[in-house]
Amino acid sequence: MKANVSMWFIMTAFFALITGVYAVWWFLTYGGWEPIGTSALAMLTFMSIFLTFYLWKTDRTQGVVPEDRLDANIEDGESELGFFAPWSWWPFFVGAASALAFASLAVGWWLTFIAVPLALIGVVGFVFEHHRGSFAH
Amino acid sequence: MATLTDSRTSGGYQFPGKKSKGEIIVDWITTTDHKKIGYLYLITSFIYFLIGGVMALVIRAQLTLPGLDIVQTKEQYNQLFTMHGTIMLLMFATPLFAGFANVLMPVQIGAPDVAFPRLNAIAFWFFFFGSLVAVSGFFTPQGAASFGWFAYAPLSNTTFSPGIGGDLWVFGLALSGFGTIMGGVNFITTILTMRAPGMTMFRMPIFTWNTLVTSILVIMAFPPLAAALFALGADRRFGAHIFDPVNGGPMLWQHLFWFFGHPEVYIIALPFFGIVSEIFPVFSRKPVFGYKTLIFATIAIAALSMTVWAHHMYVTGSVLLPFFAFTTMLIAVPTGVKIFNWIGTMWRGSITFETPMLYSLGFLTTFIFGGLTGVILASPPLTFHLSDSYFVVAHFHYVVFGTVVFAMFAGFFFWWPKFTGKMLDERLGKIQFWLLFFGFHITFLIQHWLGVIGMPRRYATYLPEDGFTWMNTVSSAGSILLALSMIPFLWNLYVTARRAPTVTLDDPWGYGRSLEWATSSPFPRHNFHSIPRIRSESPAFDLHHPEHASAEAKAAASEDRK
Repeated sequence: MKANVSMWFIMTAFFALITGVYAVWWFLTYGGWEPIGTSALAMLTFMSIFLTFYLWKTDRTQGVVPEDRLDANIEDGESELGFFAPWSWWPFFVGAASALAFASLAVGWWLTFIAVPLALIGVVGFVFEHHRGSFAH
Repeated sequence: MATLTDSRTSGGYQFPGKKSKGEIIVDWITTTDHKKIGYLYLITSFIYFLIGGVMALVIRAQLTLPGLDIVQTKEQYNQLFTMHGTIMLLMFATPLFAGFANVLMPVQIGAPDVAFPRLNAIAFWFFFFGSLVAVSGFFTPQGAASFGWFAYAPLSNTTFSPGIGGDLWVFGLALSGFGTIMGGVNFITTILTMRAPGMTMFRMPIFTWNTLVTSILVIMAFPPLAAALFALGADRRFGAHIFDPVNGGPMLWQHLFWFFGHPEVYIIALPFFGIVSEIFPVFSRKPVFGYKTLIFATIAIAALSMTVWAHHMYVTGSVLLPFFAFTTMLIAVPTGVKIFNWIGTMWRGSITFETPMLYSLGFLTTFIFGGLTGVILASPPLTFHLSDSYFVVAHFHYVVFGTVVFAMFAGFFFWWPKFTGKMLDERLGKIQFWLLFFGFHITFLIQHWLGVIGMPRRYATYLPEDGFTWMNTVSSAGSILLALSMIPFLWNLYVTARRAPTVTLDDPWGYGRSLEWATSSPFPRHNFHSIPRIRSESPAFDLHHPEHASAEAKAAASEDRK
């Protein structure tokens, strides 16, 4: 995780620097500020800050995990990795219904009224597929 | 040391008896297995590659001689090049990355699946159905989108490009873009959280590293595209004026589009750099030269690629030319580092020229050409002459075809035994390679000179007096050769599936380095029956060649014997 934190930290610093350089360089060349590129770069910097902070925080709370230890053996990992759905109909259903909903924006409102309820059913089905009630896992 | 070489009989979940066709279909569309989803991506994107290729052939046929009428109307010609670009970039190259990454990345880090298997399936179906929506414009009366794949405002508004084809293009791509973002998030999470113990970040295979960096680029670049597409959709369908020229809309669109569009080039290039970085060491029988430098170069390319977008906009006259020329030329440095590393990997190795290696070398030569013309185009005074000419067409085909197609075939031949348990035929593969190599270079090399003497891109025809005729004829002849090279490949797939013997070895090439070569071919359902100890970036090589293993692996093994 340390490697990821430093990678993101460097990227954040780079994007922050570039945002500044771009804005100032534009200002010195043309006067005023260039709204589109500067805001795109600034938002990129903000996203990098979020991710860096999240990874840094995770690294702090999690401590050293076996996958970051140079001398870890396979049996040092958790034996139970979590639950993996063996198969599911919902992704196909959500995909198809969302495609209808997106296409309906181009085709006409009549299709929207058919597609959006289908997509909502799909999303609910997807979310609750392996749900066994609160705190039941 | 835990090793299993005779694991074929106990592989994965076995369906009882032979499955009916219906069961097979249900099995594929309900799958959450990262490998099957990967194969779905690979198959779908390859079909789009063939469709986009046929469009390219019609375009080339139209341009063979001046004044031809192969396509009935110029509008159809516009639709063809628009959809050729859209299909090749967003329905072939990008999902091809998702395909290779899905199949291989979890195996390479020793994980049983990706972090979010159902999200992975949704990502695929978003891409699949979104692409169907985007290309379905061909079946409407006015035809598909025809404003070029960059959809520049104001050409892309309803005044200049009426018709439902354009609307379907906008919303279809928006949906498929969401699929790509979800895929990217899934890959990042998988790589960060599901590595096997001992698989530290700096022991991951280069391909996995490049998948990580590419996914980071995806989550940076695709949201601006989604925003821009929805804004364009609002303009087209709901009478908004976001990209109205009165509000400076053309510049807003170009900035947003290229803020996506330039990183997109690296999204489709980096994973394929990863593929060849896996292949060069295996067929040179040497570890990759400068492992960490390769990774740092990849990260540097990714970071820089976010800062160069407006080099596509030099001729607008309202971008910061020196800034973008500087950052663009700077990208040549980490790219050069990579090329240096690949050559260093081969240097004094015992190289053999199996088909994957041949394709990787084809990639290297073609890509270097594209990189060099890229430096030319990075220079504003030269771009003012060459912009929107066939020089640019030649440049990006060298870059994109060189990386995506050559490395795709390299990857197919290299990992086919892992995908299917059978090796593709080497002889047919070599015939295909030389057809493809000469076909490609005859088609596109000449286009550089066409551009220099002034042939503009996207024109449906030209005059005999322009002096473009013989070069266009050569280019079209080359494209026929290029198209023919697909026949040996499809034939190869067929005969391999029908006749080739099943591979019984974990590592049929003999010198595989990353973890996928330490499990059976084809992969079992959750990838491994047992994972070897990971002590270097080549755990499979350490396992199969203990006498030449890395120092840490040897130390760990002697520790065991005590």
